[in-house]
Amino acid sequence: MLRTPLTVLLQRLLAGIPILVLLSLVVFVVLRALPSDPLGMMLPPSATRAEAQALSAALGLDKPLYVQFYIWLEKALGGDLGHSFLYQQSVVLLIAKALPVTLELVLVALCIALVISFPLALFAYSLYGKRWGVVPDTIVVVMQSIPAFLWGLLFIALFGVFFPVLPFSGQIGPDYHLPTITGFMLLDTLLLHNGPAFRDALAHMVLPACALALGFCPLVVRVLRSCLIEASREPYVMVARLRGVPARRILLRYIQKNALLPTITMIGVQFGFLFGSALLIEIIFSFPGIGSLMVSAVKSNDLPLIQGVTIVFGVLMVLINAVVDTLYVVLNPLLRDH
Amino acid sequence: MEQGVAGPQGLPRKNAVLRALQSLSPKAWVGLCLVLFAVFVACAAPWLAPHKPDAQDLLNMLLPPMWSANGNLDFPLGTDGLGQCILSRAIYGTRVAIVVAVSAATGAMLLGVVMAMLAGYFGGWVDRIIGYVVDLWMSFPPVVLSLVLMVGLGTGVVNVILAIVLVDWTRFCRVVRSDVIVVRRRQYVAAARLLGFGHWKTMWREILPAVGPLIITLFTLEMGVAVIVEAILSFVGLSVSAGTVAWGVMIADSRDYLHEAPWGMLTPVFCIFLLVLGCNALGDGLRESLDPALREREKEQG
Repeated sequence: MLRTPLTVLLQRLLAGIPILVLLSLVVFVVLRALPSDPLGMMLPPSATRAEAQALSAALGLDKPLYVQFYIWLEKALGGDLGHSFLYQQSVVLLIAKALPVTLELVLVALCIALVISFPLALFAYSLYGKRWGVVPDTIVVVMQSIPAFLWGLLFIALFGVFFPVLPFSGQIGPDYHLPTITGFMLLDTLLLHNGPAFRDALAHMVLPACALALGFCPLVVRVLRSCLIEASREPYVMVARLRGVPARRILLRYIQKNALLPTITMIGVQFGFLFGSALLIEIIFSFPGIGSLMVSAVKSNDLPLIQGVTIVFGVLMVLINAVVDTLYVVLNPLLRDH
Repeated sequence: MEQGVAGPQGLPRKNAVLRALQSLSPKAWVGLCLVLFAVFVACAAPWLAPHKPDAQDLLNMLLPPMWSANGNLDFPLGTDGLGQCILSRAIYGTRVAIVVAVSAATGAMLLGVVMAMLAGYFGGWVDRIIGYVVDLWMSFPPVVLSLVLMVGLGTGVVNVILAIVLVDWTRFCRVVRSDVIVVRRRQYVAAARLLGFGHWKTMWREILPAVGPLIITLFTLEMGVAVIVEAILSFVGLSVSAGTVAWGVMIADSRDYLHEAPWGMLTPVFCIFLLVLGCNALGDGLRESLDPALREREKEQG
C-alpha cells in the first residue's frame, strides 16, 4: 500500500467519518433515552400537559428516536446543527464564536507545556539511574497529582488574591471594545495594531494558559524521558560512544531525534485530554470558549447545543489524530514508501 | 487431573502479601500511607470533625484560620460564607471522595478487565469489535464524555460512579489487552490447555494472575483519576445532590468569597492534591516493584 503523507491524511480522515457518525449516535441515544427532561427548562411551571405536548411536537421530540436522529444527521451534514434552546441562537454560530477562544488557549498552553517539559525531561534523563534521579522523579509524580484545574485555582489564589498582579477573569478587560476579525483575541489585537489591548489580552492569557500547560507537562516529561532512555539503549548509541562522539552530541543529535517520534504521537493522542482540561480552565477563568458553552448547555439540558458541541469535539479529535499520523509519516523516513 | 502434575513449586503462598509489602519502594509506602490515612479520615469523620458539616454559625461567617490575628480556635481552618467549619467540611468531603474512588475504580476495573480478557484471549472478531469500541470511546475527551453521561443519568453519587466506570473502563481494557495477548502465547498457557483446562479456567487460573500486578497498578492510578473527575463534576455542579459535602462543591462555593476567605478554596484543593498524590505514588511505586520486566531492566542498568 502506498504510504505518502497525503494518502495517510486522507485515509485517517475517511476512517474518521464512521467514528463521527457512531459518536453522534451514541450521544444522541444517551441524551434522549435516559431520563432527562429538556422541556422542564423551557416551560413555565404552570404549563399544561397540552402545552408541553405542543412544544415537544414543535421541537420534533415526539417522533421516534431513529427518525429524530435521521433528521438531525441530515441537517448536520448540511452544516445546520439546530437551534439552541438556551440561547435561542443557531448552534453553529455559537460554536463558531467560542471555538477560536478555546483553540487559542489550547495552542498557547501547548507551546508553554513543550517549553517547560523538554528541559525537564532532559534533566530527568540526565539524572536517570544516578543518586539524584529521585528528584525529577518526585517532581513528576507530584506534578501529575495536580490537574490543570487545581493549578488554575492555585494560581487564582496566589496571583489573583494574595499577590494581585495578574487578571484572572475573562479574555480581556471590560474597557476594550474591539471588532472581531478572526475570533482569536491575541491575533485580533495584533491585526488591529492595538498595543494596550494586546498586552491586556496577553495578561489575561498568562494564568489560564500556564495552568493548562502545567497540567499537561508531566505526561510529556514522562513519555519523553522514557523514550530517551529507550533510545539510548539502541546499538547505534553504543557505536557512537565507542567512536568517541561527545555525550552531549549523542544526546542532542542521535537520541533525541528518535525519542521525539513516539513523543509526538503521544502528544497527539493526549491532545483531547488538553481540550478536556481546557473546559474546566475556561469555567474557572470565565473564558467564553467552547467549554463554557458546553457546561452551560449541560446545566440547562440544552440538547441541540450539547449534541453540537460534542460533535465539534469529535471532529477536532479526528482532525488532530489525522494530522499527527501524517506528521509521523513525514518525520519517520522508515514508514515512507520508497 | 491437575493434581497429577508436580510442577516447580513457588514460595509458600501465605508469604506473598508479606513479600509484596517488603518489596515496596519508599514511594509506594508514602502513597500507601496517604491513601490509608484518607480512608481512616473518611471512616472516622464524625469523631474527627469538630462540627457537623452543615452546621451554620451565622455569627462567625468567613472567619480566617486560627493562626491569623482574629482567628477562632473553634474553627481551626476558619469558616465559609455560611459560617460552616471548613475543616469539618473537608473531613466529611473525604467520604464522597473515597467512596467514589474505590467503587468507580473497581467498576472500571471489572468491566475493563473482562473486556480485555475476552479481546486478548479469543482474538479474531471479538478483539476487533471490542477494539473498535475502545477506539471510539477514546477518540473523545473523557471530561466531555462524562459530562454528557451526567446529563443523561442525572446527579447523585451512584451516577457519578457509573459515569466514571462507563468512561474509564477503556484505560484498563487497552493496557490489559496487550498484556493478555503476550501472556496468551506463553507455553504454560498452551500446557494448561493441553491438560484439559477449559477457556474460562485458563483465563482465571493462568492468565489473570500473570496480568494481576498490572491490574493492581492501574487500579490505584484509576482511583486518583476518579477523585479528580468527581471533584470536577461536583465543581461544575453535576455530581452529588444538594446538601452532600464534596471537595468540588466546597471549591465552587468558595469562589464567591475568594478575596475574604481564600482558605475555603485552598483547603479542598490541598485535600484533592494529597489524595491524588497518594494514589499516584502508590500506583507508580507498585508498577516499579511489581513489574518484573521493569525490575530486571533497572538491575541491568544499576
